[in-house]
Amino acid sequence: MSEYAVLGKRLPRVDGPVKAAGTARFTDDLSLPGMLYGKILRSPHAHARIVRIDTTRAENHPGVRAVIVGEDFGDYRYGLRADTRDEYPLARGKVRYLGEEVAAVAAVDEETALEALNLIQVEYEVLSAVTDPEEALREGAPQLHDDKPGNISVHMKTSFGDVDDAFRQADYIREDRFYSQSVLHGFLEPNAALALWEAPNRITIWASKQSPYFLYRNLSNCFNVPLSNVRLIQPYIGGGFGGKNGGYPVDFCAVMLSKKTGRPVKIVLTMEEVLSSHRRRHPMIVRLKTGVKKDGTILAHDCRIIADGGAGTGVGPSTIANAFYFLNLPYVVPNVRYEAFRVYTNRPISVAQRGNGIQQIRYAADVQLEMIAHDLGLDPVQIRQKNAVYTGYRTASGMNIHSCGLQETITEAVKAAEWETHYRPWQEKEKEPLGRIATGVGIACNSFQSGARLTGHNCCTAVIKVHEDGTASLLTGSTDSGQGSETVLAMIVAEVLGTRLEDVFVPQTDSTVTPVDPGSFGSRVSSTAGNAVLIAAQDARSQLLPVAAELLKAAPEDIEFRDRKVLVRGAPDRVLRFRDLTRQTVAWGSGTSIIGQGSWGQTVPPMNFETGEGDASGAYSFGTQAAWVEVDTQTGKVTVPRMVVAHDLGFALNPLAVEGQHEGSIAGGVGHTIYEHCVEENGQNLTPNLTAYGLPTVYDLPEEMVSLSIETIDPVGAFGAKESGEGTQVSTIPAIVNAIHNAIGVWITDLPVTPEKVLKALRDRKAQDRATEGGQP
Amino acid sequence: MYMPDYEYHAPGNLAEACALLGELGGKVTVLAGGSDVLHKMKIGSLAPDHLVSLKNLKELREIRYEQGRGVVIGALVTHDGIYRSQLLQEHFLSLPMAAHTMANTQITNIGTIGGNIVNGSPLADLPPILVALGASVKLVGRSGERVLPLEEFIVGPGKTVIAQDEILTEIVIPDQATTGSTYKKFGLRKSGALAVVSVAAAVTVEGGTITDARIVLGAVAPVPLRAKSAEASLKGKKVSDAAIEEAAAAAAADSRPISDLRGSDEYRRELVRVFTKRALRKAIDEGHV
Repeated sequence: MSEYAVLGKRLPRVDGPVKAAGTARFTDDLSLPGMLYGKILRSPHAHARIVRIDTTRAENHPGVRAVIVGEDFGDYRYGLRADTRDEYPLARGKVRYLGEEVAAVAAVDEETALEALNLIQVEYEVLSAVTDPEEALREGAPQLHDDKPGNISVHMKTSFGDVDDAFRQADYIREDRFYSQSVLHGFLEPNAALALWEAPNRITIWASKQSPYFLYRNLSNCFNVPLSNVRLIQPYIGGGFGGKNGGYPVDFCAVMLSKKTGRPVKIVLTMEEVLSSHRRRHPMIVRLKTGVKKDGTILAHDCRIIADGGAGTGVGPSTIANAFYFLNLPYVVPNVRYEAFRVYTNRPISVAQRGNGIQQIRYAADVQLEMIAHDLGLDPVQIRQKNAVYTGYRTASGMNIHSCGLQETITEAVKAAEWETHYRPWQEKEKEPLGRIATGVGIACNSFQSGARLTGHNCCTAVIKVHEDGTASLLTGSTDSGQGSETVLAMIVAEVLGTRLEDVFVPQTDSTVTPVDPGSFGSRVSSTAGNAVLIAAQDARSQLLPVAAELLKAAPEDIEFRDRKVLVRGAPDRVLRFRDLTRQTVAWGSGTSIIGQGSWGQTVPPMNFETGEGDASGAYSFGTQAAWVEVDTQTGKVTVPRMVVAHDLGFALNPLAVEGQHEGSIAGGVGHTIYEHCVEENGQNLTPNLTAYGLPTVYDLPEEMVSLSIETIDPVGAFGAKESGEGTQVSTIPAIVNAIHNAIGVWITDLPVTPEKVLKALRDRKAQDRATEGGQP
Repeated sequence: MYMPDYEYHAPGNLAEACALLGELGGKVTVLAGGSDVLHKMKIGSLAPDHLVSLKNLKELREIRYEQGRGVVIGALVTHDGIYRSQLLQEHFLSLPMAAHTMANTQITNIGTIGGNIVNGSPLADLPPILVALGASVKLVGRSGERVLPLEEFIVGPGKTVIAQDEILTEIVIPDQATTGSTYKKFGLRKSGALAVVSVAAAVTVEGGTITDARIVLGAVAPVPLRAKSAEASLKGKKVSDAAIEEAAAAAAADSRPISDLRGSDEYRRELVRVFTKRALRKAIDEGHV
């Protein structure tokens, strides 16, 4: 069906074999001559004043080469914006969460470094801590940052349309509270950095980063060295999911320890450190009020959010803004009001995680829509079809939809889930006794930004060097953190140059060599970097074209590059091997180098963190998920044997990669819904390993995962492509929660859906039913 | 998360091992598969001066049937070895299944049945079904050997009656008068999860009457707990839903759960009821499964 030679094909990932064979080198696999090992001392308190740190004994310990504390970094603080820089490489004056970094040691081996940590004496004055965001907002609550009164990290308040009037017009109004818990990114490679400082002012660092250019700027500012002297080399990355975007203490400490010792220093966190104190998803309390007409048409949302930000702001403003933007999609909401507080608490810092703020809001909004459908006796599929946005729609807040296949995703998901056969409304099932295993189906829809449009540097750039043997190197700063972008971007090059995937090499990011790039977040790589690669490949092609025209005695517009050949349209006998063309071209005249270049950025204005007005991206994906659940009504255990993802992704650049993303989304979403939870209590982390934390294993995931791509060929993205890796996780939670209601008639508004909660909800419902039958209220 | 220093020994045979255990001063720990011991050393809850590895005691890696004694399982048989044993699969299917699903492949490949027992964890997966089947353990020391019921071996969380110079060498499941047995575990994940509650049951049914029953509860008391009043309530009763229901309620009353991350005491008690019912029904209807 496609006119493409490479794109649209199910090609295996180029990094697959080395990763499967175990030969791919990650940061921890690297070492340099004379390398030292670093370890970090962490706070045993959630909130305390640092009275004194004595490092003498640690410094005198044999084998220790350097010990650093917060003062070594001066007053350097980092963060997304000038007004949100509230994180230190090592704590200054105070610790604000359990596990916060207090000091670091470099020693000849790991064991010695660990021994030295025990010799650092820190005197703390323990302060009362606040770990609940609602309590943190109360008057008299412990204050985390002197310059942020009331513990408010981010506040956003906005409104579009006439919300009060809409509620007056509404036939039915519901107000509910939803809670989404604290979950982790779940990457399996702990954060790691290997740094080398060369006097007087050069930094080379190998670090596990999905968005390496954040750290490149951070290091330049922190160590006062020019950007040209910051060389950040990106080894293979064992997953990021939002937890490897910026610079973290591990990076700053590795560089500072190298600077102090003059030797390379490697720090690799343990999984326990990651689980106890690294960044995580924002827990959110969402209070949502929705007004509808009798037929289910949404008239207005009024939403109040309290987000647990932990002890720092991170990328929090984008999380809070995203939650607002995607209150407006994927359903038509003519009137909307929103107020959100991102609150400081004495917990590890909340940041972006696959879906950045959108999971939490869509969990609330899509489950509430299901509640409304149930209350009004409407069909869950029809209420979504009725409210679905469409191509050409503009939200009340000013987001413009240029391509939208939401209706088709609903149709396809419903079909694949065999909805007609399996769905029966709860009202009908309610009258029958519950079996030991109750089953149900549920659906939910999503929308997502296809490339977040941030302030500051926004565009992606690609440089393509075509070698004389017809192969090409693609230099891009867009990092493959495991999502497969290396393969997809190489496929674009091969498509345009008429070569094959194996003819294109994509070296990993190296800030001295590759062009600066915003990073792999906000689902921007395929669409944004994809366009830059397309332009660069066309540029390289245009340099080859005149030579081809001359050699083949044809007009340039008649020449085609396909399958390593250069062809003349309509003249099958005039053919040139691509490699011969490249050889001829580099030797042409006095000789040349074929280097194509392209830059592309979202053309919409930057996201508005103040009012949320306008677009969040140049393009939006849409999708629907259907879940089939089984609930053991005696234990409350929920399993999801089957799940369907139907996603409008514009164009599937590589359907195999898309399937991987869809399955990964289900894994992440099922984990968030049912299994995962970070718990701290009385200054103790109760979930410092993957077993206690509850990361699902492959056995706990649906046995059957159906991935369907709906192609709408978006006018903005590369080859019409939109994102298909984050939006797909946005609707997993509500699809499962809606299916649970369909199975047993209870609404789970507090995540995760533990068996104990389900059993209790089931009991409460039965007790209420009995009370109602008995004539009591 | 770093191993403290210790001295490592790998005696060539059982006698040498027992002698060594008796001679060594300081804190001595026996190392079998290491899935518990090495973990404890890494997190700092165990710091022995000496580790005595049993890796050369090849004779403890066997499972065999001995006339008059029953099924004899060497203490060094791994969980995977338990799972793959034809003999155990045929006679006591729930034991191999418990070994198979208790942990991930890396652990089931190294962890041993002896270690699972000596570790003394009330959450451990193998002791409940072994106690239900009336298994005994053989302890060999410098001055001889002794055999005692597994039920008397574990006395508290992480506590057993093993002496410093003793090695657990064999677990014996005697020839059964029982007609059915099974083990049911409720974990929050399908594999590699700690038990929130587990129930093992072994029953003897003759002509529709329950003449004997042993019910053992895991994760709801400091030790794998015999639900004695539940057992008593079944004796002499005709098989019926009512009898099973009554025993399940009695087992819930017998349990002494605590509240923690994985579940409240109230929830655990309810799970004991549900799983006692399920285990009894299965053991009565399906035999040793």
